[in-house]
Amino acid sequence: MFRSHYLPRTWAGRLAAGAFLAGMALAQPPIVHGWANRIEPWILGMPFLFAYLLGAYLFMIGVLAWTARRGI
Amino acid sequence: MEPWVVATSLIFVYLLATIVIGVLANKRLTVNMEDFLLYGRQAGFLVLYLTVVATFHSAFAFLGSGGFFYTHGIGFWAAGTWTVLVGAITYTLGTRIWALGKKFGYITPADMLADFYESETVRIVAAAVSVLFTILYIQVQAAGLGYILSVATGDRIPFGLATAILLVVAAAYLMAGGLRAVYWTDVIQGVWMYVAVWAGALVLVHKLFGGPVELWRRLAAERPDLLSLPGPEGFFTPGMWFGMTIALSFGIILQPHMMLRYYTAASARTLKLLGATTPLYLFTLFIPVAMVGLGGALVLPELAQPDRVFPELLFRYAPPWLTGLILAGATAAAMSTLDSILHSNMTVLTRDVYQRYVAKNRSQAHYVAFGRAVVLVLLAVGWYLSVAELDFLVEIVALSAAGALQLMPAVLGVCYPGRRLTTSAGAVAGIVGGVSVLYLTLNDFMPTPWGMHTAVFSLLVNFAVTIIVSRFTRPPSPETVERIHGEVETFVYGNPQRQTTGEGDGENGEHD
Repeated sequence: MFRSHYLPRTWAGRLAAGAFLAGMALAQPPIVHGWANRIEPWILGMPFLFAYLLGAYLFMIGVLAWTARRGI
Repeated sequence: MEPWVVATSLIFVYLLATIVIGVLANKRLTVNMEDFLLYGRQAGFLVLYLTVVATFHSAFAFLGSGGFFYTHGIGFWAAGTWTVLVGAITYTLGTRIWALGKKFGYITPADMLADFYESETVRIVAAAVSVLFTILYIQVQAAGLGYILSVATGDRIPFGLATAILLVVAAAYLMAGGLRAVYWTDVIQGVWMYVAVWAGALVLVHKLFGGPVELWRRLAAERPDLLSLPGPEGFFTPGMWFGMTIALSFGIILQPHMMLRYYTAASARTLKLLGATTPLYLFTLFIPVAMVGLGGALVLPELAQPDRVFPELLFRYAPPWLTGLILAGATAAAMSTLDSILHSNMTVLTRDVYQRYVAKNRSQAHYVAFGRAVVLVLLAVGWYLSVAELDFLVEIVALSAAGALQLMPAVLGVCYPGRRLTTSAGAVAGIVGGVSVLYLTLNDFMPTPWGMHTAVFSLLVNFAVTIIVSRFTRPPSPETVERIHGEVETFVYGNPQRQTTGEGDGENGEHD
């Protein structure tokens, strides 16, 4: 049976792809232009939007690092 | 000693170091195209890491992005999305490109596309897109270099001469040592530029505001419009945010100077580690740039050229030796991208045009010599384009990336076996359609719907044309599909009992 390369085939692959895409969605409109679009100081005085995106980026890098570590 | 003398001296010390590295690389060079053009496919993690990040970040990271934070505010922090996505693309797509390059001896992106689609037309179109749009990038880097040196010298070296000096240095070490020289200089450049940006930003922020916390507090009090979306001039709309994410990730990765780097990795493991770790360097470089750009908006609110914010702050508020070090770092950022573009264009023109159509079956030394001559021509073209004027850097980069982005459906068709095959006619029609829409929308002959970024709109048209034309045209032969998609299947899943093609439908004939 033909199996496409566009869909992950293993549980770990699905988890990695899903987590990365979720992280990317958190760093895209409409969330960044809506809920996250706030200027009040948050961590180390950084405005909320800046700190929130910093967290989202680090999360995605964490997913990539986990994926590499698992050898997926 | 006057500040400009210190700054200029440090830049020239740096230039001298790159030439020495070029000479050392030349001593290791063997007269062989794979060695001259692809570092003998031996690049290890550290060298590849630093050349990828140094090549990705250019004059634009130092000048254009600072100007963007200055003008449009925090919206440019979207840079994190495309730099993280670059890591994911390297991990998933880059490793497949590496595997195919190693197995079948590809040297250029067009080699891979022409082999799979069994089409010289695909080769020519891919090579033309590669060269055409990256020449714009040569202009950006060359202009950025000339600008940095002329600023450092207080315009004592005029822009045109400054551009020429730096282009000649980059061309000299590239011609001497090939890609090995580019990689070795990128190691220095990658470290230097990162340290320089952080050092410069921290010194400036502490001197001007007492630290980052106070900077953010003052911004919230005095310029809250810079801290929210879509920014003071309404630039960072949802469409722009998403469009830049796509154009500056896939678009830059698909430029030949980035794709060629995948071929050079020593192993797939190297590339996977690279994908997981390069985003950390790439996106954290924008933290100090954001502080400089946003801080500059408070301190120097009336700058005529926002791109100048970083050097202007340095000359006014930083000690001369630090200014020199940082401007040398900016020079490194621009040169590391410029030398890679010169190299990739040399590779494409030598391999895809000269060797294929003009002078077949010549010696390796002949092609290496021709490649060096091409560098001289590109140097002249780059200089001519750059002395016209310095435009707002990031917009040119976006155009360049949007052009290379048009290779995406064709590349995915090779590297990702799907239910239906992409055909050579589909790939060519898609690229032509995408580039045409890009031209029409950028020149206001055609609107983009729903506030969509022109790069995304042209890419969607490209995909649609590719899919439709591929439905009705002849696919690659079953043997080629089995050979190449089979290799991808084996590489990714280690499955020798594979079935790599989708459903058949008569003449269109996907091969079951």
